[in-house]
Amino acid sequence: MIIITGGAALKGYLKYFLNKLLWFLVTFVFAFILNFTLPRLMPGDPVRAIVSRLAQGLSDATGVQAIYEQYTELFGTNKPIIEQFFIYVRNVVRGDFGFSFSMYPRTVADVLKSAIWWTLALQFPAIIVGWLIGNTLGALAAYLKGGFDKVLMPVSIFISNFPVFGMAVIMLVIFGVVLEWFPTSGGYGFDMIPNSSWAFIWSVIVHYQLPFWSIVLIAIGGQAIGMRSMSIYELNADYVKYARFMGIKDRKIVGYVFRNAVLPQITGLALAIGTMVGGALFAEIIFSYPGLGYTLYNGVMGGDYPLISAVTLIITVMVLSANFIIEILYGIIDPRIKAAQAD
Amino acid sequence: MKHTIQQVFRSGKFLVGFSIFVPILLIVIVYPLIITYPPLEIISQGTFFPPGIYVNVYDSMGSTQYTLKLDNAAANRIASKLSNDDRLAMKDWLVAAGIPENEIDITNTQALLDQWEKNYDPTQKIAGMTNAQRNYYIRLNNSLKGLLSTEGASIAVKNAETGALEETGVVAQSDYVNINQVPNVRVLPLGTNSFGRDVLTELVKATGVSLQIGFVAGIVATLIGLTLGLLGGYVGGLADDTTMFATNLFTVIPTIVLLILISYSIGQEKRGAFTIAVVIGLTSWVWTARAVRAQVISLRNRDHVNLSKLSGHSIVHIILTDILPYIASYVVMAFILQISTAILAEAALSILGLGPKTTEVPTLGLMLNWAFIYQAPILGKWWAYLPVIVTIVLITFSMNLMNTGLDQVFNPALRD
Amino acid sequence: MRKSILFLNLLVVLGLVAACGPAPTPEVVEKVVKETVVVEKEVVVTKEVEKVVEVTVEVPAEAPTAAYPRNETLYSNGQQWGPLVGWNPYSTANNNAMAIANDQDSARVIMFETPYLYNMLDGKVYPLLADGDYTWNDDRTEITFKIKEAAKWSDGTPVTAEDVAYTWASHVKYNTSIGVGYKDYIENIEAVDAQTVVVKAKLDENGKAVNPLMVAAYVAKCYVIQKAWTETLEERTGGDATEFVADTAEDVVYSGPYHGFFWDDTKVVYIRDDNYWGQDASMWGKLPVPKYLAHTIFKDNAAGSVALAKGEVDVSQQFNSNIQLLWESYGLPISTYLPEPPYGIGASLPTAFYNLNSHGLDQVAVRKAIAIAVDYPTIIANAMTNQSATFEQVPRSLMNPTPGEQEMYDHDAVADLQWAGNDIEGANALLDDAGIVDTDGDGWREYNGQKLSYVATCPNGWSDWQAAIEVVAAAGKEIGIEITTNYPEWSVYQTVVTKSDAPLPEEGYDIFMMWSQGAGPTMPWQRIRCMLSSEFVGMAGNWSGNWGQYSNPDVDALIQAIPGETDPDKLKEMYTELVRIYLTDIPSFTLMYRPQSFHAVNETVWTGFPHEGDGTDPPVPPLNCTDGWSIACLYNITLVNP
Repeated sequence: MIIITGGAALKGYLKYFLNKLLWFLVTFVFAFILNFTLPRLMPGDPVRAIVSRLAQGLSDATGVQAIYEQYTELFGTNKPIIEQFFIYVRNVVRGDFGFSFSMYPRTVADVLKSAIWWTLALQFPAIIVGWLIGNTLGALAAYLKGGFDKVLMPVSIFISNFPVFGMAVIMLVIFGVVLEWFPTSGGYGFDMIPNSSWAFIWSVIVHYQLPFWSIVLIAIGGQAIGMRSMSIYELNADYVKYARFMGIKDRKIVGYVFRNAVLPQITGLALAIGTMVGGALFAEIIFSYPGLGYTLYNGVMGGDYPLISAVTLIITVMVLSANFIIEILYGIIDPRIKAAQAD
Repeated sequence: MKHTIQQVFRSGKFLVGFSIFVPILLIVIVYPLIITYPPLEIISQGTFFPPGIYVNVYDSMGSTQYTLKLDNAAANRIASKLSNDDRLAMKDWLVAAGIPENEIDITNTQALLDQWEKNYDPTQKIAGMTNAQRNYYIRLNNSLKGLLSTEGASIAVKNAETGALEETGVVAQSDYVNINQVPNVRVLPLGTNSFGRDVLTELVKATGVSLQIGFVAGIVATLIGLTLGLLGGYVGGLADDTTMFATNLFTVIPTIVLLILISYSIGQEKRGAFTIAVVIGLTSWVWTARAVRAQVISLRNRDHVNLSKLSGHSIVHIILTDILPYIASYVVMAFILQISTAILAEAALSILGLGPKTTEVPTLGLMLNWAFIYQAPILGKWWAYLPVIVTIVLITFSMNLMNTGLDQVFNPALRD
Repeated sequence: MRKSILFLNLLVVLGLVAACGPAPTPEVVEKVVKETVVVEKEVVVTKEVEKVVEVTVEVPAEAPTAAYPRNETLYSNGQQWGPLVGWNPYSTANNNAMAIANDQDSARVIMFETPYLYNMLDGKVYPLLADGDYTWNDDRTEITFKIKEAAKWSDGTPVTAEDVAYTWASHVKYNTSIGVGYKDYIENIEAVDAQTVVVKAKLDENGKAVNPLMVAAYVAKCYVIQKAWTETLEERTGGDATEFVADTAEDVVYSGPYHGFFWDDTKVVYIRDDNYWGQDASMWGKLPVPKYLAHTIFKDNAAGSVALAKGEVDVSQQFNSNIQLLWESYGLPISTYLPEPPYGIGASLPTAFYNLNSHGLDQVAVRKAIAIAVDYPTIIANAMTNQSATFEQVPRSLMNPTPGEQEMYDHDAVADLQWAGNDIEGANALLDDAGIVDTDGDGWREYNGQKLSYVATCPNGWSDWQAAIEVVAAAGKEIGIEITTNYPEWSVYQTVVTKSDAPLPEEGYDIFMMWSQGAGPTMPWQRIRCMLSSEFVGMAGNWSGNWGQYSNPDVDALIQAIPGETDPDKLKEMYTELVRIYLTDIPSFTLMYRPQSFHAVNETVWTGFPHEGDGTDPPVPPLNCTDGWSIACLYNITLVNP
């Protein structure tokens, strides 16, 4: 195992840690600014849209104007952008994301609260399961070679290239409409109210299957290919050949090999979290599954920039944090990094 | 160079991918030359016509009629109107109307039809019958009229002056026409879609457009990635820090989110196919930049590069002659991947309704978008969306295969 | 390392600066930012009913623990898009589609009720909260009607005339959309005694009612809201009009049979109040059959259609394209009101408006040429998948296809002005005769030296409209006028189109599509007014009509005169004249006929829905069992497998 030699290694590690932390913070600030500005560049004035809706039938211009002014005051869209930005920052720190333009008077926090759990519950297990199964298959293929590999490779390439919407639609049609093995829409039974009964939990599980598998299958394909390539690299490395010649048991060698091969895959895992929302978006739309992706899409369609900023912020934070944690983990697991730092 | 190409074509995977991709490309180029129908022309009044050969009925009445005596003609005719399920349904109705069950024989068509005609009454209320079932029986009854007759049908034309119908011809039940002699026959191998357009023709054109979008996006992304990677990798220092930073930023914000935001901001009017391609290119260069940078970093300390530096060559010269050729393989592979990613990205955007304008050019994503909006999957109109999905998969699959093949050529360790 | 420390310091500074940003003025915050009433997913616990009536039904406190039984629930789709926001009947922003649909021709009465119900099939109004028909006084300036004795609110108190009067007073005082919409026509509503209501029309200088049609419409379209609860709301919001309307009103008191039971992002469920007054013999005589009304919130039309096909939806208000395939090819127990095309009763006229300020569109020849060249049969077959009558079956006019309206104008008098479409030759001839030809050989005609080039548009995502606009654009090519399409988002589209106090933008909105009024007690007058009256030109937020900003004093005069006219022959003349002007000037043209609501039912669980020839009297209209007289359907349906 890794032996920490006194203060030098620790100092090196600290330097690595601080470096990563710095990048994390700086990237976060820029991403935050980007999150704020991008949605507000969209054309169309959403406040006017809300006001039009609320002022239906009002025939006098002054009446409409008065309401318009009241709402721009409320939403703060009449202030200069810099001011809006600082107000936004202060509110976010307090957890107040403001009102949703498209679903006024619901607050953004309220909208997100209901949606976020579904996305997390759908995506996290999907990514992890896909990652685990995919890497295992890829590693096996690299190790066993022969027939298994010859079959797995093309199949993996084929499935991993399937667009999510394609997979989702095909699964919907085959398993939902034709075979009727699974329900075709919703997060839980259409005749149920969320509660903690067995029936409800079972209903959630059943509704979960199709969206879950349409994402996982593609993830498996992708991971299998990556892991296979990495494993092959490692299996042909010098130290493996040397260890073999030395007579060390294969199983032990394999342990080392896969530990090395898995490292880049972990980085891939962090990246996958970033694509989480994108992948979920189509599954959510096609299966009418509740979640963040569809909320984001609605926000875009409705010009609802508080909602969009909030969703993209959450995504950014999640990805950055995932990246950060994984880089730290990387630092702990991979002794080469420590060695490089302690120079 | 020549040797590399030879090796490339000997790689199994590359060949397979290549042999899928090239026919698609050829079809896209050659098909419009042979079949000149405009792809966006609305030809059907009515949506989702099934695939098949459409024969103009009016013209077939006027074509040469041949008499063919075929044994099973009558049986086919009856079976198409009266399936087994229909017979069982008729029996159910008759039983509910009071006819004793043992008097009904569903295999005897004549007897069944006689009983039906005698007893069917559309206004009779049967307990527990839904409105949908009631309508079904009315439709069934209408379709059974004259099912067993052996007489032909007469063709009549309205007299311009009197307004009365005058018989101009007779069509016997044994009359057949030869499709080749009917002047107006249209083959629709994939039927029509929700707009009434010929799916196959539109699909070919859409594939071409999507490939173009992929190509443009790929070039844009590869150029940006290449430049940034070279800059960062070779020059190092602040340039490297900045490019790495930018790369990190783009990694962190999911591409799909960026795409949605930018596409929406541009607005429908300016969203042509080309604009979308550029937008996609601008958001997907990250991977290329990273890969190029990693390679360049490992290359810049090589002997031949140091030699060039000592010889006093300019940075640009070094980059062009000493570094580029070594990363060419990576760039080509990245380019191929970019094309397939771009095609997928465009399809994704179009399905969300943020793709290029509908009337100018069709794209694969747009065809899927409209198929979903008009609920083709649920209605069983597979020809409106399945060929599109298959095309997308084939293109991306073949490109990835080619990519893997190239990978194996350039990294012998990966060869099996 | 130094660099890093610098960076860190910079970050800290930024953070501090951000935290100390300028604070908003406290007064503004307090006044405008109301308490965020987070929509809680709790049940509305029904209070115990006072023993006023002899027969009392024990109302158990419902708790949303178990699933609600399929055979006690009626599922709908196509009404509720997106999560529910509020329960305030004074507001138009509740997004509470099943319960609150303010000021609708066929009012939605599952929770709140109107005095009368409009029946779009026979054009008559039937009493709901009212007792018997209403009567005009001799001058036709006042309407009088009584409130049923049996009518009660959900808290047990009786519905009185005071409630009706106070509702109107509140609409006016707080400038609600109903208040603004009717205050030019209704002077006042008074409660003469506990049961009798008098609606006084606004009078013009001759002492005649300005618009008796609108006065009569009010009693069939607008909810009666409890005075006591309104007073609570007023207290709570301190008399501020914006707050009054923005309040989510979860404690609202209602008189209808259903109220909210459970709602979240995925569905809305309403539960029947077994103490509903309507079971009294003076009204329905029994309770509505389904105990629950549920509406799953679908992402889009496609998801809703899948659910309908699977029997998870009983009544569908969506545009289900090619719905006939569901029963013809798949044998599903799905049906529409009519078994054959057009499958439903056409009631409104989606129309393509011309921007009369666009270059060349001020010429009648151009407008007419485009209008007659469009391939309407394809629009109806492809965009509406035959769920509309064709223009051969129902020649174009300003009236909808219902027999009642069709009788109101003289068909023969305008027959030569009507067209069925696809008349490329006629269009080309028209343009040639007007001297609008292709002078520079580029294939497009010019007018005054400038090429005729237009953009046809409708909101993005409205698929049947988009398909129709595509067909309109395709016609342009045949007659030498360049027409391209563009689909802005609805939020952008609506702000441009409804801004009638300025001319429409020069580009992008030359031919744009909008809706028209459907079937109602004031039709066809209201529809004609909304399509042609110049009173809407100059409005900043014009949701009523005439978005092309057409202005014709003859038309205005006729529109003014019709409500006061009672002689049916004279009325027919006036309507015919309006149709004649419309078909001559062509400021807009109808693209297809659209049902008031789409109505398709799946009879897996329930049966007895309205269909043609179902023998109900008065005939129950196919309005999803919630609107106007269609609510009678809730009392008629039965289980397929009891």
